[in-house]
Amino acid sequence: MNLLGSSQKGMNTFRYIKVALVLAFLIAVPWIWRDNRFITTIFISALMFGIWGVMYDLQIGYGGLINFGFAGFICAGAYGSALAAHHYEINPWFCMLIGAVASGVLGFLTGVVTLRLRGIFVGLATWFLAEVLRLTISNTPGYTRGMLGLTVKPLPDVFGLNFSRAELLPYYYLLLILVIIIFAIAAFMVSSRIGLSFKAIREDQLATETLGLSATKYKLINFTTACFFTGLIGAYYAHYIGILTPDTTEFGVPRTVEVLTVAYVGGRGTLWGSILAGFILIGFQEYFRQLGAWRLVMYGALLIAVMIYAPKGLSSFKKYIW
Amino acid sequence: MELSIFVQLIVLGLVRGSMYALMGVGLSLIFGIMEIVNFAHGELFMIGCYIMYFVAAMLGLPFPLGILASGVGLLIVGILLEKGLISTLRKKAGRDWLMDSFVLTIGLMVVFQNLALIIFGSIQRGIPNLVAGQIVIGDVVFIYDHLVILSVALLTVGLLWYFVKYTSLGKAIRATSQHSEAAQTLGIDVSRMYTISFGIGAALAGIAGALLITLFPANPNAGMAPVLKSFVVVILGGLGNIKGAIAAGILVGLIEAFAMFFLAGGWQNVIVFSIVIAVLVFKPAGLFAPAGERP
Amino acid sequence: MTLEAKNITSGYVKEVPVLTDVSVVAKEGTLTGIIGPNGAGKSTLLKTIYGYLHPSRGDVLHDGQSIKGLKPDQMLGQGIAHLIQGHSVFPAMTVEENLELGGWIIKHDRKTLDRALDKVYEHYPVLKNKRRMVAGTLSGGEQRTLEIARLTMTHPRTILIDEPSVGLMPILVDTVYEEIIKLKELGYTILIVDQKVHKCLDVVDYIYVLRLGRNSHHGPKEKFVDTIEDIIREWI
Repeated sequence: MNLLGSSQKGMNTFRYIKVALVLAFLIAVPWIWRDNRFITTIFISALMFGIWGVMYDLQIGYGGLINFGFAGFICAGAYGSALAAHHYEINPWFCMLIGAVASGVLGFLTGVVTLRLRGIFVGLATWFLAEVLRLTISNTPGYTRGMLGLTVKPLPDVFGLNFSRAELLPYYYLLLILVIIIFAIAAFMVSSRIGLSFKAIREDQLATETLGLSATKYKLINFTTACFFTGLIGAYYAHYIGILTPDTTEFGVPRTVEVLTVAYVGGRGTLWGSILAGFILIGFQEYFRQLGAWRLVMYGALLIAVMIYAPKGLSSFKKYIW
Repeated sequence: MELSIFVQLIVLGLVRGSMYALMGVGLSLIFGIMEIVNFAHGELFMIGCYIMYFVAAMLGLPFPLGILASGVGLLIVGILLEKGLISTLRKKAGRDWLMDSFVLTIGLMVVFQNLALIIFGSIQRGIPNLVAGQIVIGDVVFIYDHLVILSVALLTVGLLWYFVKYTSLGKAIRATSQHSEAAQTLGIDVSRMYTISFGIGAALAGIAGALLITLFPANPNAGMAPVLKSFVVVILGGLGNIKGAIAAGILVGLIEAFAMFFLAGGWQNVIVFSIVIAVLVFKPAGLFAPAGERP
Repeated sequence: MTLEAKNITSGYVKEVPVLTDVSVVAKEGTLTGIIGPNGAGKSTLLKTIYGYLHPSRGDVLHDGQSIKGLKPDQMLGQGIAHLIQGHSVFPAMTVEENLELGGWIIKHDRKTLDRALDKVYEHYPVLKNKRRMVAGTLSGGEQRTLEIARLTMTHPRTILIDEPSVGLMPILVDTVYEEIIKLKELGYTILIVDQKVHKCLDVVDYIYVLRLGRNSHHGPKEKFVDTIEDIIREWI
C-alpha cells in the first residue's frame, strides 16, 4: 500500500492530480476565509489531530503497537519546548526541535524496554508511563508551574511573518508545512524497505524473524520516529495554544482516545485516512457543538461501530470517495 | 512510629486494599476467561454508584439492598453488553482480538461516561455514610463505614471464590478458559460461559461502586480513578490471576496508606505507577507468577 | 449403534469442498479406521460428522436417525462422544474435576454421575490414585488416559477419535491404542481418524482410505494387510 492506499507501485498521473487537489484545498480554503478566525482554528485542529492520527496509525497500523500513552509523547514535546523557552531563553523555533527530541528520546527508551512484550502490554505500559509523566509535571510546580499553568511564548517573527497569535494564519501555514514534511517522511518509510518490513512483521512476526529481520529493530525505528514527530507537533501545539496544564483532558487518556479514534476511523494502515478522519471528526465536533455531551456519545458509538462493522475505517468506503 | 498509628495505618491499608481487590478481581476475571482488557470497567463501577444512590438515597432503602441492586443491575448490563456487542466482535476478530476488544471497551467508556453526564449532570451525588459512627479501641479509631466496606468486600470476594472453585458452573467457566475446544466437546455452551463471566465481572465492579459510594460519590467521572487502580492491581497480581489480584489489592492498599502518611499528596501515585511499569517490563505475568511464566 | 456418513460433500468455504461424496459406515461394536495422506480430508470428515462443519450435501446418521447439525450437547445426548486431537485435559483442574466435567450433560443427576465416576475409577485405577492431583502435572500418557476416561462418563455408545497418537511420545502410543481396544471390548462403536497407518491397521476391524477428499479403498482389515504398502506408495 502506498501513501494513497493503492497497491500500485509508484504514483501515476491520477494520483498526482488527487494529491494536488487535496493540497490546493488545504492551501486555498484558509486563505480565502482568512478573515474568519474560526475557520482557521478549525483547520489547525483538524490538521493537528490528523497528523497525530497518522503517527498513531504508523505505530498501530504498521508497527502493530498500541500506544495508549500517546498523549504522554505530545506532553513531552509540548513541555519540552515550553520549558526550554521559559527557563533557558532559547529561541522558541529551536525549542520545538528540543521538544521533538525529548519526545523521540522518551519514545526510544520506552521502545527499548517494552517492545519485546505483547502488543497489549505495550499499551498498558505506555498508558502508565504517560500518567507518570503527567503527574510528575503536576507535582513539580516549582519548575513546571504544574496546574497553575505554564504560559508559553509565541514563536518569534520570522521571514517578516507575525506569529504573535493576533493573526492565526501564519500558524496554520506553518503547521501545513510541518504536516506535509512529516507525512512525506512517513509515506516514504512505509513504502520503502523499512515499511515492507513493518508489514511483514505485522503479518507474521515469527516468520520474519526466521528470515533474519530483526523485528525489534524495525519496531523501534517505527516507534521512535512516530514519537519524535508527535512531540514536534506537541511543541507546535504549546506555542500555538499559549498555555499548558498537566490536566488529564490535555495530556491524559481523553487526549489519547481522541487521537486513537481519528486513527481507527480513518483506517489503520492507511496514513491518509487519518488526515481525512481528522477533518471529519473535528468538523463533526464543531457542527454538533451545541449538542454538548451527545457529541461525545456519538464519538464513542462511532468507535464501537468502526470496530465491529468497519474495521478498516474510512478506507472501506474508499471506492465511493475517489 | 507509635504502635497505635502503625495499627491505624494497617487497618486503613487493609480497608483500601479490600476495596482495590474487589475492583481488580472483576477485571482479572474478565481477562482470564475472555481475554478482554476491559477499559470500561470504571464505567461499570460508576453505574453501580448511581444505582446505590438511587436505592439508598432516593428511595431511602437500607444500604445492603443498594449493594444487591447494583450487583444484579450490573449483571444484567454485563450480559447485555456481552451478547450484544462483544460476542459480535468476537466472531469477526482474528489475531488482534486483544487489542480490538480493548478499543471496543474504550468506545464503551466514552459512551457511558457521556450518557451519564447527559442523564445525571455532573453534580456529585454522595451519601455521607453507610453506617454512622466509629468505635475506638485503645488508641485506634475504627470507622464503621470502613469496617462495612472491609467485610462486604471480603464477603463478596469469598463468595466469588466459592463460586469459581466449587460450583459446577464455576468449574465450567474455568474449564472454558483453560481449553475452550475441549469444553465444547463435553457439551458446555462456551458462548454462554463467556456471557456469564462478563456479567459476573461487571457485577463485581457494580458492587464495588455501590460499596464505595461514600468515598467515590456518584458522578460521570466516578470510574476514572477506580479503573486506574483496578489496572494497577491486576497488572501487579497478574492478568487473569484472581488470587494475585486479591493479594495485589491488599498490597497496594497498604503501600498507599503508608505512602500517604510519609509523602506529600500526588507522589504516591507516581510511585505505584512506576512499580507497575517495572512489573510490566520485567515480570509481565505479575508479581506472584512462577518464574519464567509468559503471560 | 451404527454411525453412518452418507455422501458427504463438505468444506470450510462453500465454494471449495474438501470432501466430495464421501461415505463411511462404522458398524455397531466395531473399530473403524479412516486413513489417508495429508490433506485427504480426514479431519474435515470427523468435524462434519461431529457437527462443527455443515455438509453442503449428504447426511450423517446415527442408528438411522439424522444427526446432521446437532450441537455437541445434543450429540452427547444421542450417545456420541468426540475426542479431539492433541492435549485436551483442563490443566489447572484436578483429575476428579476433569472427570466430573466429562459428565456435564448429566450433572443434574448426581447419582448417575457418581456411579459413572466410580466405574471410571474401577477401570482406571491410575486415575483413582491421582484423583486429587492437578491434571497438568500428570504424565502425557496419564493425561491421555484421563481424556479417554472423561469421554466415557456419559456412557456414550459411539466415540469419534481424532488422531489418537499425535503429540505423544512413541513409548506411549501403544498404551493409547490398548485403551482404545479396551473400549471396543466394552462394546463401544469407535471411529478413528489416524495418521499412523500401521498402528491403525493393527487395531481396527474395518478400514476406509480417503484420498483427495474422496473415498479410495475400503474393506475389512484382512483385505489390506498385504496391499497396504502399495496403497501408501500411491499417496506419494
